[in-house]
Amino acid sequence: MDGAVNTTGATPEWRSAMIDVSGLSIGDLTSKVTSAPGGDAADDTDGAINGNALAHCLRRLADDLANPGEPIAGFNSAL
Amino acid sequence: MSTAALADARPHRLSDAALASLGAGRPDRATVVELKKSQLSRNLLLLHEIAAVVGPGPLTELAEAERANPTRVRELIARPLFGVWAAGCLRALQAGKNPEISHLSALARAARLPRQQPDKSQQPNKSLKATHNGQSITVRLDDSDPLRAHLGLRPAPPLDPAQHARWQRTFTEAWRLLVTSVPADAEVLAAVLDCVVPVLPDPAARGISATSADAFGAVAISEPADATALAVGLLHETQHSILNAVQYLFDLLEKPATLGYSPWRDDPRPASGILHGAYAYLTVTRFWRTQSTDPLAQTDPLAQFEFARWRAAVSDAAGKLRDLTPAGARFIEAMSAEVRPWLDEPVDPGVLRLAESANRDHYLRWRLRNRHVDPAGARELRRAWRAGEARPDVTSELRPAPKRALEASARLDLTHRFLRGDPLTGPRGEPLTGSDGDVAYVRGDVAAALRAYTDDGVGLILAGGFDVAPELAAVLSDEPDRLAILGWLS
Repeated sequence: MDGAVNTTGATPEWRSAMIDVSGLSIGDLTSKVTSAPGGDAADDTDGAINGNALAHCLRRLADDLANPGEPIAGFNSAL
Repeated sequence: MSTAALADARPHRLSDAALASLGAGRPDRATVVELKKSQLSRNLLLLHEIAAVVGPGPLTELAEAERANPTRVRELIARPLFGVWAAGCLRALQAGKNPEISHLSALARAARLPRQQPDKSQQPNKSLKATHNGQSITVRLDDSDPLRAHLGLRPAPPLDPAQHARWQRTFTEAWRLLVTSVPADAEVLAAVLDCVVPVLPDPAARGISATSADAFGAVAISEPADATALAVGLLHETQHSILNAVQYLFDLLEKPATLGYSPWRDDPRPASGILHGAYAYLTVTRFWRTQSTDPLAQTDPLAQFEFARWRAAVSDAAGKLRDLTPAGARFIEAMSAEVRPWLDEPVDPGVLRLAESANRDHYLRWRLRNRHVDPAGARELRRAWRAGEARPDVTSELRPAPKRALEASARLDLTHRFLRGDPLTGPRGEPLTGSDGDVAYVRGDVAAALRAYTDDGVGLILAGGFDVAPELAAVLSDEPDRLAILGWLS
């Protein structure tokens, strides 16, 4: 899904693996989360909530945190 | 919104035109809004993941604050330093540590305060504002939040009123420059930039700045020397933020860690870093293009030099990126297409010579520093040279550098002096920096440079126009007749 061109619509578009939760409230986002200290966040797939897509999105987020390609991009005018 | 809404949540999407416009460094307002929405989404997902580890309890107060004032809470969660905190908190939790979760309560308290009334424990809010030709910008000047120390550079202490006023004066002038020169880029900058974090200067640099992938819209930057430096620095860092947001949505590189040459650093850089450099310099080059071609302004050789140098560097770096994803191919093709027409635009021949020399100089010095000939290859080179045989097929290998490398170049410093019309030598003809060969080379006196460059292998290669790998020439640096060696290696 990530990066594929959707050619079925009239206008090609790029669909991200990342889910848009910008319209959700904090209460909505956390209401399905039960207290689970020490749990593995990346494995919290919660099949009732758009399981595969959300799980894929969260794995990608976890990968980004664990292996940031370029965490700090900098500029130094010595050059 | 109910929990059913989470099940209905859709992936972020960009139209093909929007992705191409981002690659070209010319996103429209709607595309920037989409990127900002995706970064808010990222911060909310980080909260979701934090709650998955610690439970929803620590978020209760913030959720209540959001019910009372949703707009204000959204605004606070969207801030770049909240992204820094959330990412750091989740990393710490995943590492089995106990991060400071009480930050969420502080955020809830902040959300309940009237907008311009800071918490009593905090410094008063500061900002930078400017308006020119009807275009306005307002950014927060964050000189007190402890989280600002996580942007990659050492933060400056809180500014006193005089320092703040100095920043504001430079900011006002930088904004005038940006709106006059690159109004579309200025509009993007105003939409993306949320806060400026003053950092301590680096004595080895004229100016430093940085952007964190966790902090969309934050720029850490040392006090700029002048308005132009601030304008260029803000353009540059905003591009990093935009690229970070694009890469949150789409992988652009299949092998982002592959090391290679970057025109902006002296150490080998991963492909992801090279892409960042090229993308940041895309808008920097556009800025210098307008500065060098403004029909109302006197031709500025320094602006022409920057334009000529960076248009080539961006084009080369983008063109050499390999193993692109489909989205990466679309993005980078758009970037290349943006810069390609600039390559044919006229530049004063003397300035062009210096720009091309500066790029070649940097590449040669990078090779010399980072590519190495193994001992067997070095022995074979020496044997063949001494035996008068044809050059053997000896190659070099790239070695990763242990740390960031960036050093000043005397030839580049002399080039800047030359373009400004400043003297290159002192009262007795001695070079003010660099060597006699450097002075001759910058002045275009190749014969004098070749005579003077006795110990500078890169200088000899440059002045002689040799097509030689400098790391191979370095193997034979103890042999006599270096010009003949360079001819043999060419």
